[in-house]
Amino acid sequence: MKIVINQSRIEMIRVLRNPYYLFWSLAMPIVFYIVFTKIFDVETADKEVWAAHYLMSMTVFSVMGSSIMTMGIRLVEERSQGWTRYMRVTPLSDFQYFSAKMFGQTVVHVCSIVVIFTAGILFNGVRLSIFEWLFSASWILLASLPFLAIGSLVGTMKRVDTAIGISNVLYLLLAVTGGLWMPIDVLPKVMQNISMWLPAYHFGNGAWEIVRGQLPELQNILILVGYLVVFMVLSMYIRRKQDVV
Amino acid sequence: MESIVEIKKLTKKFKKEKAVDNASFSIQKGEIVAILGPNGAGKTTTMSMMLGLLHPTEGETLLFGMDPRERAVREKIGVMLQEVSLMDTIKVREIIQLFRSYYPNPLSMEELIRLTGLKKEELNKRTEKLSGGQKRRVGFALALVGNPDLLFFDEPTVGMDITARKLFWDTINELAAKGKTIIFSTHYLQEADDISDRIILFHEGRVIADAEPDLIKKQLTKQSVSFITEHSISEKMFLQEAFVTDVFKKDERVHVITDDTDAVLQTIFTSNLDVSDIRVEKGRLDDAFSQLVDTEKDVS
Repeated sequence: MKIVINQSRIEMIRVLRNPYYLFWSLAMPIVFYIVFTKIFDVETADKEVWAAHYLMSMTVFSVMGSSIMTMGIRLVEERSQGWTRYMRVTPLSDFQYFSAKMFGQTVVHVCSIVVIFTAGILFNGVRLSIFEWLFSASWILLASLPFLAIGSLVGTMKRVDTAIGISNVLYLLLAVTGGLWMPIDVLPKVMQNISMWLPAYHFGNGAWEIVRGQLPELQNILILVGYLVVFMVLSMYIRRKQDVV
Repeated sequence: MESIVEIKKLTKKFKKEKAVDNASFSIQKGEIVAILGPNGAGKTTTMSMMLGLLHPTEGETLLFGMDPRERAVREKIGVMLQEVSLMDTIKVREIIQLFRSYYPNPLSMEELIRLTGLKKEELNKRTEKLSGGQKRRVGFALALVGNPDLLFFDEPTVGMDITARKLFWDTINELAAKGKTIIFSTHYLQEADDISDRIILFHEGRVIADAEPDLIKKQLTKQSVSFITEHSISEKMFLQEAFVTDVFKKDERVHVITDDTDAVLQTIFTSNLDVSDIRVEKGRLDDAFSQLVDTEKDVS
């Protein structure tokens, strides 16, 4: 257990020192948040609800990004450089290595959530009940699991360049179709129908419901769990195939 | 004697090519063994199988009598692979501390610094900012961190400068004196000769010789006594001796090929031959090596 804690601590330090993380996961969402709630006057009935809604969008956007990209790309890097191979001759087991990465990543997510929520309070005076703050934060943490699974799927790729390219495109596509940048109603009807079957919308919607004083819809949970299972099985299958040398 | 490494009929095929072909040997506690061979001889593949990083096509490896992938084994071994890659965005000190936490009885930071020659300012550097030589030093430290009983080094001195190389071998000798078992691969013949007390020679995936360096040399290299003389010397006098295989004259020097140079010298002195500038030449392992490889080729 001590090993896993140590390992997680190091993984955490590494993510926080990564300039890409700071840019994509903290700076970008906060800048977007300010731009779309302060500078552009988005026509909404209720400015306060919009400020809270978009705060959730940006937090989801941030956590989704580091789930897909940070861990996935790092896994590819470590494998292509021979580090993963080297870890196999140390007493650290594959399981410990992997769970430490997941754990470290989760702590980083907590950090992102706290920073972006704080930005929301500072810039727009977003006010939610303590229960709503905690509930939405926990939702964002838990519902990020399918995206971590996508990250580990990205992590099975052979080349770092491919992993970076594909995960970026995937990330932005998911963000747009999930209604994270702009509410989903502004998308064409066809796109909206497709989005209903993609995971990002459901990730966001859970949090949007919470800040409106409701519970995430059952549909949100079911679809996210479905994606989690599919991506986990797929990435475990590929990993196993790669291991047989 | 306690057998620490047990390799049984190890074979590895990649597609149709046999990278390692039916290699068997065992290594006892405290031995320093060089796995020697030209590039592509199967040294790295053998080492990877010994470490459980590659599955053998046939045969098996046991370390301390167990599968090399067992945690109990991993706690007792230290490894430096070729081309050390390090986890990035962390400082050298952090990675060493992290590794110290993996093992039940790690060496202290001070001890590691002393053994590997890591410098204070290097400890505070991020791993991705290190030069090749510095990375090797960190790799060496990571191999030693768990105070292992059995050490593996795959081509350890490639890319080290002379000072680094000397410190590396000094440390290896110090560890050997403490009873550690050391296995290293190299294609530097001199290194194998200087450091090891046993050489396992690989060629085209097979073990073609396995003996102490002197024995390999003695068996497989020619030795000779040569001298200058103004008198004509009866070649027969030498040839009738059992230990002489050939006598010839070349560039004013008489060469006596033998497997016992001392006996030749004795003959020269007891017969009171009028000779000068006597030279005794023993074949170096380089010769043994190319010879071994050549004979092997002839056979196959």
